[in-house]
Amino acid sequence: MCLQPREAWQDFPERPLVSAILLDVEALRVSLPARGGAITVVDGVDYDVAEGEVFGVAGESGSGKTMSVLALLGLLPPGATTSGRARFGDLDLLTLGKREQRDVRGGHIGMIFQDPMTSLHPMLSIGQQLKEPIKLHLGTGRKETSRRAAELLEAVRLPDPERALRAFPHQFSGGMRQRVAIAIALAGEPELLIADEPTTALDVTVQAGIIRLLDALRRERGLSVVLITHDLGVMSAIADRVAVFYAGRIVETGPRNDLLQRPRHPYTKALLDALPDPGKPSDHTLVPIAGAPPTPSELPPGCAFHLRCSHRIAACEAAVPALVHEGARASACPVDPFRA
Amino acid sequence: MSILEIEDLEVTYERRDGVRFKAVARASLSVERGSIVGLVGESGCGKSSLARAAVGLVTPTGGTVRFEGKEVQPLTRRARPREQTRLQLVFQNPYSSLNPRRRVGDQVGDAIVVAGTQSRTGRAARVAELMELVGLPSTARSRYPHEFSGGQRQRIAIARALAADPSLIVLDEPLASLDASAQAQVANQLLELSRELSLSLLLISHDLAIVHHVADIVSVMYLGRIVESGPTRALWTEPQHPYTEALVAAVPHPDGTGAMPEVLPGEVPDPARPPAGCRFHPRCPHTMDVCRLREPELATVGNARLAACWLRDPEAGSGS
Repeated sequence: MCLQPREAWQDFPERPLVSAILLDVEALRVSLPARGGAITVVDGVDYDVAEGEVFGVAGESGSGKTMSVLALLGLLPPGATTSGRARFGDLDLLTLGKREQRDVRGGHIGMIFQDPMTSLHPMLSIGQQLKEPIKLHLGTGRKETSRRAAELLEAVRLPDPERALRAFPHQFSGGMRQRVAIAIALAGEPELLIADEPTTALDVTVQAGIIRLLDALRRERGLSVVLITHDLGVMSAIADRVAVFYAGRIVETGPRNDLLQRPRHPYTKALLDALPDPGKPSDHTLVPIAGAPPTPSELPPGCAFHLRCSHRIAACEAAVPALVHEGARASACPVDPFRA
Repeated sequence: MSILEIEDLEVTYERRDGVRFKAVARASLSVERGSIVGLVGESGCGKSSLARAAVGLVTPTGGTVRFEGKEVQPLTRRARPREQTRLQLVFQNPYSSLNPRRRVGDQVGDAIVVAGTQSRTGRAARVAELMELVGLPSTARSRYPHEFSGGQRQRIAIARALAADPSLIVLDEPLASLDASAQAQVANQLLELSRELSLSLLLISHDLAIVHHVADIVSVMYLGRIVESGPTRALWTEPQHPYTEALVAAVPHPDGTGAMPEVLPGEVPDPARPPAGCRFHPRCPHTMDVCRLREPELATVGNARLAACWLRDPEAGSGS
């Protein structure tokens, strides 16, 4: 792979000083067909993911977070169009043919979803579902495939891997199913794992286990993870950097602790103010965000957040604010009310 | 006197394979007038079954549920006794609990008629009043459920429950299907309503952070039993039961520090075959001999606090 070095995040001194960029997305746009013509659901998004990094994608439902990663895998709904670039090694993920896309999916990029019960086949044993991608991507023989399958279940800390191979999805709890789904996603030895709300359907005690597992996998295997979640608590635990999506655009991005402790964009600040934080006294007030998220087909002019924003000025309506970079952080707000 | 008194409640279900199991196994809980009680626990712990039994939607197989001093009768085809309409229930998903084909004002109006709290002439005014109470414009009543956001729909469901002039509303995961902003809105609304109308709330939720924010008292449920109960702040900072401790430690905080949530090892056992002794002992880091043998009862462990744990019993530990 052709990879370029980059500066590491200063917040993570334990990291090697130079880590390579694995995925570099530039000016990504995704449009979906609609009755009155196409609607743009992802509108000019730039981000990159380094090796071994957990890159968090935050935002409310409908903000384009999922579409922006499905585009990388060629998994968009029929009729969808994309533009921009998504460099992954020597490849541009957006211009691949069907065959190459199949090799990338699972072979280089694995994916897990919110509900493992719907992504696992109910009638096939865990072994069958795990061995198929191993054979497909690695071309291993029978014995080697079985060995690897058991090894993967061990890697995701599933108790009694040999027995689990013969079991069926319904015999496992939600948390264990998600572990199986992660094992399957890792079967083709991908460099990147995309996790779309992987803990949203799980209890908090089980969620903690999955968060720790993802963290262990990136440390043990140098796996990069794109973590999509609306839960800023989960984000705070595991993401190295966070991008906040609103109405199909990134409005703010930066190192996790800096961004969550000193949000720059009014939307990020508003999201945090709406959240209960058990670390704060229980009588702190939750501040809901005014209004509702706009629908992609009826975006307001200028900054898509301006109608809900208490800091808005005339400029907010005039033009879509660009993401302004400053060190490791970037924010798209002409007012910039929380500037340090 | 408590407004709701649940004592040794048992709810038994039969599985498809004919195995009977207790979803609620001798659980006790009380709600004081005007207070907000949160009931938390993992999925499958029996908290929704307890909520349903509390309002008479399922028939308990043991124990009692008393509302304002009178035993709650299981729901039948007949109308409930009038005084029991002051006990209301709000479900998780307002889109399925509201009728999609009727205007929301009419649905709230129906509840007023059923509760008999208003004459026909006063009904329209009361609908407007209830809508305002939950922060919706009175023009909202001529619209249909699909025209509202999830948070607004949940507030309509709450307005409908308020139509009966309740003294207690049981809310089963009322915030679970809402995004952060709508969650904040509904949570604030509940706090306000409880204070303004001195309304009691029993809030069932798996989300500890939001319960921590809203509830005065928290009860923690594990495998059909209440294992701990106490004032929210105290329970959070000094949990008396190891399960509560584990739950609290598992909640990730959005504070940017990168602190990892703690994992509770093991899984919730099959309620059809609960472990002997304390139901939590196979997952507990402090298991003693007595924990494997005898089930601890919910007992007072200090100021307004209850816990069912041998660690808190000065005479246990000897393995009696």
